Amino acid sequence: MKALLLAEFFKLFRQSRTYFALAAIFIIEAIVFVSAYYQGSNIIDILLENLKQSFYFEGELLNANLLIYLVLNTLWFHLPLILMIVVSGILTSEYKDGTIQTVMLQPVSKRKFILSKYIVAIVFTLVVVLLLALTSYIFSYAIFGNGDLIVYLDTLNFFTADEAIYRLSWAFALGAISMVFFSVVSLTIAVIFKEAAKTWIIAAFFLIISNLLLKVDFGNNWFNRLFFAKLNDTWQYLFVNEINWTYIFNSSMLLIVYSIAFIGIGVFIFNRRDVG
Amino acid sequence: MIISGTSISKSYSSNRVLDSVSISCSAGEICGVLGSNGAGKTTLFKILCGLITPENGNVEINSNRIKPIGAIIEKPALYDYLNAIENLKVFAGIQGANTDPDALKEILVRVGLPTDRNDPVKNYSMGMKQRLGIAIALLNNPECLVLDEPFSGLDPLGIASLRKLIINLAKKDKLAILLSSHIIDELSKVSKTLYVISNGKILRKGATQDIISSNTDKYTFCASNIKESKVLNNYDVSFKGNCASVKIEQSDVPNLIQNLYKESILITSCSPEVNMERLFKNPGE
Repeated sequence: MKALLLAEFFKLFRQSRTYFALAAIFIIEAIVFVSAYYQGSNIIDILLENLKQSFYFEGELLNANLLIYLVLNTLWFHLPLILMIVVSGILTSEYKDGTIQTVMLQPVSKRKFILSKYIVAIVFTLVVVLLLALTSYIFSYAIFGNGDLIVYLDTLNFFTADEAIYRLSWAFALGAISMVFFSVVSLTIAVIFKEAAKTWIIAAFFLIISNLLLKVDFGNNWFNRLFFAKLNDTWQYLFVNEINWTYIFNSSMLLIVYSIAFIGIGVFIFNRRDVG
Repeated sequence: MIISGTSISKSYSSNRVLDSVSISCSAGEICGVLGSNGAGKTTLFKILCGLITPENGNVEINSNRIKPIGAIIEKPALYDYLNAIENLKVFAGIQGANTDPDALKEILVRVGLPTDRNDPVKNYSMGMKQRLGIAIALLNNPECLVLDEPFSGLDPLGIASLRKLIINLAKKDKLAILLSSHIIDELSKVSKTLYVISNGKILRKGATQDIISSNTDKYTFCASNIKESKVLNNYDVSFKGNCASVKIEQSDVPNLIQNLYKESILITSCSPEVNMERLFKNPGE
């Protein structure tokens, strides 16, 4: 298994596609910084003109914490989309080039082979989220400086600078679980559809539908609490005044269970199907 | 017998791709599978290599090695963005074979590939890819090698070179080699035993030369002055440049060559023309 994992990491980081994807993620991050640098102050001033007359805000409102929060919002669509393309590609490219057949002609367990791909996908996703978090912290603090965080979630929520860092860090950690879920789903889609174009379309469709369903209120019932599409905004619950840790813990655990289930489905299908 | 498949059948939807096919190959033997495109050769090889499951029949492999069979099916599928050594390293690593650079270079030498090229294999010719594919197939010392259409896409020099390598692997390393082609000329030069497959059924099996001669009713004789021959007037003959295609029994060929010699016609080549219609005709029909 260790040899399979090493081979998978070696292949992943020798493919130019991986670096294009990483570049895309960090270009999006840079665009957020640049646009905030040139336009952010004006927008915030207009939005908060009245509030500024009644409240005292410590530091600039266009600060590192707000920028990190803005970068965090790429977790809704941009980051999972890019991750899904890269992760599904680690299998679809093997089908396209026929290398999966060459691998299966070696004395290699099908179950271990596909499991190693899932593990690499998870590790890669976690590393990307970690890199995104690190770069957003480093660059935003270097360029914009510290300050209080203001977030609009139904209502305006204010957090002191120290509180903001704490919540943002947790948000990245919980967001990583959501990203892992989407990565795992994309790999399972690749197991089912094999072909890159089909897989990308279905993966993008899955992501869009998940985001749409997230906004739909199914009422206060079990479906609303347990449906996977409803669990991908858990990190947002860190930006309400009173954090409901029980809800966050349960949702995160449930999302991990969903991820494991998708891995199980992928391994089962791959193991049963003929290669070739 | 290193590998044998017995009564193998396979269908895709309502299409019967293989119908009770039996095949076997011993150590040091080269067995050719001749069939047109879509005859079922690749499906048969995939089943023998365990890539797909047959509906009926079974495959028996008499080998205790970690990897009993090495194979290239359809084309040598490699990681195009990696160089030859890296490809070998990946495939050796995943199966627990030796990944030591010297050991990997030794395998490259064994298949006649240069050890000093560091560029990605996407730059390699088809012949070089075939050789690298064989190098990967040979990792972990299998006792059987399965090669599906190994000569397709190769130039004449590449075909001759690969043919030599295949013969050497069977002769020196005692590998059982199963190879397929849709061109009889290629198989006749390497394989000892021949299986003729059509529409998923084995039509003939036996010694390659026996099958060829029993299905040959014409021979092509070439000589610079072949058109001047009077002896050839006694035969059903057609000329193409300096060659004559003559309808003749195999047993009469030496006599004809002698008679042509008497006419001062020096034959430079004589090759059989297999009657493909007869070869691929079901003996039961």
